[in-house]
Amino acid sequence: MSGALLDIRGLTMSFGGLVAVDGLDLTVGNGEIVGLIGPNGAGKTTVFNCVSRFYEPDRGTIRFKDRDITGARSHEIIRFGIARTFQNVELCRSMTTLENLLLGQHVVMRGGVIRDGLRLRGAGADEARATARADEMIELLGLTDHRDRVVSALPFRLQKLVELGRALVSKPALLLLDEPTAGADPRESQVLADLIRRMRDRFDLSVLVVEHDMSFVMGLCDRLYVLDFGRRIAAGTPAQIRSDPVVIEAYLGEPEREVADA
Amino acid sequence: MEVRWLRTRGQAVAPYGLALAAVLVIPPLLVIIPGVAPGYVLYLISLALIYAIVAVGLGILVGYTGQISLGHAGFFAIGAYASALLTLRMGLPFVVALLVAGALSAAVGFLLGLPALRLSGPYLAVATLGFGLAIPQLVVWQGSWTGGSSGLHSLPLASLPLGVSTIVLRTDQDFYYLAAAVLIALTIFARNLVARHTGRAFVAIRDSEIAARAMGVDLVRYKTTAFALSALYAGIAGVLYAHLLHGISPEDFTVLLSVDFLTMIVLGGLGSVGGALSGAMLLTFLQNALTRLPIVHDFKNLYIVVLGAILILTIAFLPHGLAGVVRSVRLRSAARVRQGASPVDQIVELGEGSSAR
Amino acid sequence: MTLDLPWGQLLINGLALGSLYALTAFGIVLIFKTTKVITFAQGETAMFSTFVAFTLLTAFQLPFALAFVLTLLFAGVFGALIERVVLRRISATTVLNPVIVTVGLGLILLGAAGWIWGYEIRTFPDPVVGPPFRLGTLVVSQLNALIFAVTPVLMAVLFAFFRFTPTGIAMRAVAENRTAAQLMGISIGRMNALGWGMGTAMGAVTGMLIAPINYLDPSMMGDVALKAFAAAVVGGLTSLPGAVVGGLLLGIIDSVAGFEAAELRNTIAFALIVLVLVVRPSGLLGKHETKKV
Repeated sequence: MSGALLDIRGLTMSFGGLVAVDGLDLTVGNGEIVGLIGPNGAGKTTVFNCVSRFYEPDRGTIRFKDRDITGARSHEIIRFGIARTFQNVELCRSMTTLENLLLGQHVVMRGGVIRDGLRLRGAGADEARATARADEMIELLGLTDHRDRVVSALPFRLQKLVELGRALVSKPALLLLDEPTAGADPRESQVLADLIRRMRDRFDLSVLVVEHDMSFVMGLCDRLYVLDFGRRIAAGTPAQIRSDPVVIEAYLGEPEREVADA
Repeated sequence: MEVRWLRTRGQAVAPYGLALAAVLVIPPLLVIIPGVAPGYVLYLISLALIYAIVAVGLGILVGYTGQISLGHAGFFAIGAYASALLTLRMGLPFVVALLVAGALSAAVGFLLGLPALRLSGPYLAVATLGFGLAIPQLVVWQGSWTGGSSGLHSLPLASLPLGVSTIVLRTDQDFYYLAAAVLIALTIFARNLVARHTGRAFVAIRDSEIAARAMGVDLVRYKTTAFALSALYAGIAGVLYAHLLHGISPEDFTVLLSVDFLTMIVLGGLGSVGGALSGAMLLTFLQNALTRLPIVHDFKNLYIVVLGAILILTIAFLPHGLAGVVRSVRLRSAARVRQGASPVDQIVELGEGSSAR
Repeated sequence: MTLDLPWGQLLINGLALGSLYALTAFGIVLIFKTTKVITFAQGETAMFSTFVAFTLLTAFQLPFALAFVLTLLFAGVFGALIERVVLRRISATTVLNPVIVTVGLGLILLGAAGWIWGYEIRTFPDPVVGPPFRLGTLVVSQLNALIFAVTPVLMAVLFAFFRFTPTGIAMRAVAENRTAAQLMGISIGRMNALGWGMGTAMGAVTGMLIAPINYLDPSMMGDVALKAFAAAVVGGLTSLPGAVVGGLLLGIIDSVAGFEAAELRNTIAFALIVLVLVVRPSGLLGKHETKKV
């Protein structure tokens, strides 16, 4: 299916003997917000790690903008236009908010040992441009007060926000969000959902989000995929998924999981 | 991180100006001060400057990129021996030897960086330790052309081309200016490097390789670059060392020297170019001062114990070294100046900001 | 290099030497597994303990067996003290911190030993005297025979300890999963101290067995410690059997290298380390720890 921004086919990934993802087909279209949900351990983050090339899938193809990225190296992914956040926030803890957002623009800046070391022309202008962009993002996300604070001093939910900013600041085409509402209360989740929608509109993004929070996902996503034990058990609009008996059973099978009360 | 420096550019120039002035002013000052042998003191300072070059380079690798090397004496040795052999045996001019030896050292650093890509922490430490031990052994093994265990002596004086003639650096003072110039140039380069794009990539590798990769930092490229760069610095320093001493032997490049280098940057503060400088200066003078204490009947003994104690005490009480102390002092005074910051903010920043690096 | 080497003899010597590497490496891995610290002070603690043994043997004229046991006790306590006093205070915020601290510790011990006992090279009394054993064309010196006797016994005792005693199992639990062990009521601090004590004692054993051939001076263990490190790393820092395998392997290679190219012994050790690590970054038998993304 060309035309889809992200096109995953037959993705299979196993660790040792355990199959984490089993023959997954998934697409994300331009401007869509797609959700990937499922009970704990369903393999959702594994899918992300395959797309960002931290893992080497056993089988399957991943195409992005009609280009096969299945064999790409992990540091090339952001260059293609895919940026992500992490479940356990992976910020550079000794850097400030600003510096983290500058890092997010690493691929947009010209650099290199000679250019940086000798302060050749271009490096300064790049830095100024990047700083301006970072400041813009900081303001958008309401992080102005924390611009120069070292991120390890920030509370978890702010760190997640910084990470979001870092992912957005390189103007990606596709944003992979791994559990953005972890640690957030319902009100904060709502704010976050609005934020993501605004970002999508403003930056012409597509978003693939992995989540546990059902109400968040139901309210935000255009389409959903449901994973259980690595296999896709349902796909469709939130309305379809909500009433899908297979999905309900998958969630009820785990006593601590609650199906959407939205 | 150094982005703060960019914002206080005007003020940041002041310490540099001061340093430059100090460099120029020291030799004439020494002549004036009675009871001091200017030649010897300049020799000592030159040595400190040379070690400082190594420290700055090593600091990029260890402090900024978060790798570890217990074998940097090996690169120091490569630079020293390469230059010694090129000038002594092949009669090449000093500057040519300097460049070639530096390049060679950098190349070896790059090569060592390759297996280092797959190694982390203790494994890397052991591998680099082995490297540092292997180099002098290789020198002795190929004694027929490297001078073996007796070493190489009577090296040609350092000289710089100037138009059609050359300036020969005969005195300690001449060499001192050379060492200072090289250190200043390399320090400026290093500071520029770490302040921006490349430096951020290095720190990203140290703080979170995963984040680094996701943000487009090519680990292979940057890690090998960090190794090559630190090797380059150590190699250049080695060249200067060889020509300062007019001779070298394998015993100059022991594990203890590698440990010395590491101590310098730990003491000065990891992740800080200024820290590397101060750590190197301090340690060299300390080493020299300890020889002069009358109670010491056995110098080697005491210095080793003090070195070990410094390492332990610094990690225990000053984990961010001297640079960390300076930083927290600065933060404290800045916090006092800043209005409107809540007490909690200030405490958090003092606690986290200064300790987070 | 010809292949006409006295393989049998080299094997015997190599295994003896390798046993010593194995014992030291075992100590290093033990300390690492329990406390997650790579100690670069293993050589120096072993050396220090050996000097203590020397004093017991010469100044106090104690019989070897008694001095041996007393030294082991000393080493055990010494190691536990080090853990308690020095290492507990150090926050392992980076992997570099404990490394530097143990390097510093090693230096202090090196200097201290030189100050207390001086730098003259001394002869360590022979634990066993007598003519070497002969097996056909092969010669096994009395000391080597002692090494061959002591090492397997020690290994067996330790194996039994870790397998069958509650303390040993507790230590393994700590190495496996600290949090879980803590929740089971195991005192991490005590296990740490025990790990260090035992690891240091292993080093002491090596020191006392190697001093008769190597002479006694503060830098005696430097080379051995390096090789032991190589062995531990090659075997895989998380694997106790790996340390033994690595040690024996390295002993044989070192023996052959010593015979053929003595000046390059360390270089060869280094090349071996790098080779193994490139192929298996966590050693031959080690477990690769991957970070959860």
